[in-house]
Amino acid sequence: MATGTAASYPPPPPYYRLYSDYLTDPDSAPPPPPPVEGSYPLYGATYTTEAVLPSLEDQGVRQLYPKGPNIDFKKELMSLNRDLQLHILELADVLIERPSQYARRVEDISLILRNMHHLLNSLRPHQARATLIHILESQIQRRKQAVEDIKRRREEAQKLLKESIQILDSQ
Amino acid sequence: MDIISQLQEQVNTIALLAVNTFGTLQRDAPPVRLSTDYPEPAANSNPSNPNPTNGDGNPNPNPNANPSANPSEEANNVAEQPKAMSAALVQAAKKFDALVAALPLSGEEAQLQRIAELQAENEAIGLELQKQLEAADLEMKQVQELFNHATDNCLNLKKPD
Repeated sequence: MATGTAASYPPPPPYYRLYSDYLTDPDSAPPPPPPVEGSYPLYGATYTTEAVLPSLEDQGVRQLYPKGPNIDFKKELMSLNRDLQLHILELADVLIERPSQYARRVEDISLILRNMHHLLNSLRPHQARATLIHILESQIQRRKQAVEDIKRRREEAQKLLKESIQILDSQ
Repeated sequence: MDIISQLQEQVNTIALLAVNTFGTLQRDAPPVRLSTDYPEPAANSNPSNPNPTNGDGNPNPNPNANPSANPSEEANNVAEQPKAMSAALVQAAKKFDALVAALPLSGEEAQLQRIAELQAENEAIGLELQKQLEAADLEMKQVQELFNHATDNCLNLKKPD
């Protein structure tokens, strides 16, 4: 332990002195810092607080399906599936006839697979909205049920009170 | 599992089947016949191998059955494996297509519109629920007051023993 000066832990940050009276007076200490927004560096890499799926170009992968605002996901996924099967067959042929040229075909197959995964990931926001719609619908259903229950119970209570008044009056 | 995760799993399964197919075929493929001058590989090389793991005291349990069974077994496997594996690959691709066809997709604007409608309805029914709750709370307080009065009167009229 005495020889561990180069590897010893760094000292705690000096802010601890500001909290010496925290137990007696919580307001004497500074408030916590606000959450980070935008981009921040962490262990040498830059991260961002916005949660958005990076496009394929950002990851350096060629995009095989057409770009545009409205993508027909089902059609693109099915055509990518067909392309994948054809490429697998091509790889089998290449391995029989010219085995040393497998690398290009394997790269093509991995490109198609990455495109498929990217398409599926870009369907997730749609799924999130559909989940939200489902949650709102079930909440509306539960609230309507609660309103009906309360109305019914109030009417029952009114009825009981009227009956008890009648009984007391008749006595 | 939700359908998108199932689709992602299916893509991974297809990739796994493809690499397993090629790997197995490459591993198990018999050597290629280079020229008619060289003879076929000898099938009787097995009895010369000792069987160190056999502790029964029977060093060569099946000296004749093994060498003749192995090449024909291997030939059968080599012929049937590609069929089975390619059938599995095609099945996986068909399942992927079926899952894609089952995707419940709709436009983004339609979803946003529906969300706005549902939010408005939720707001309205929330106000109604709050109104009913307040009225019910008020009635409950009134009934409790009346009950307290009634019990007080009962206690006052009753003579203590």
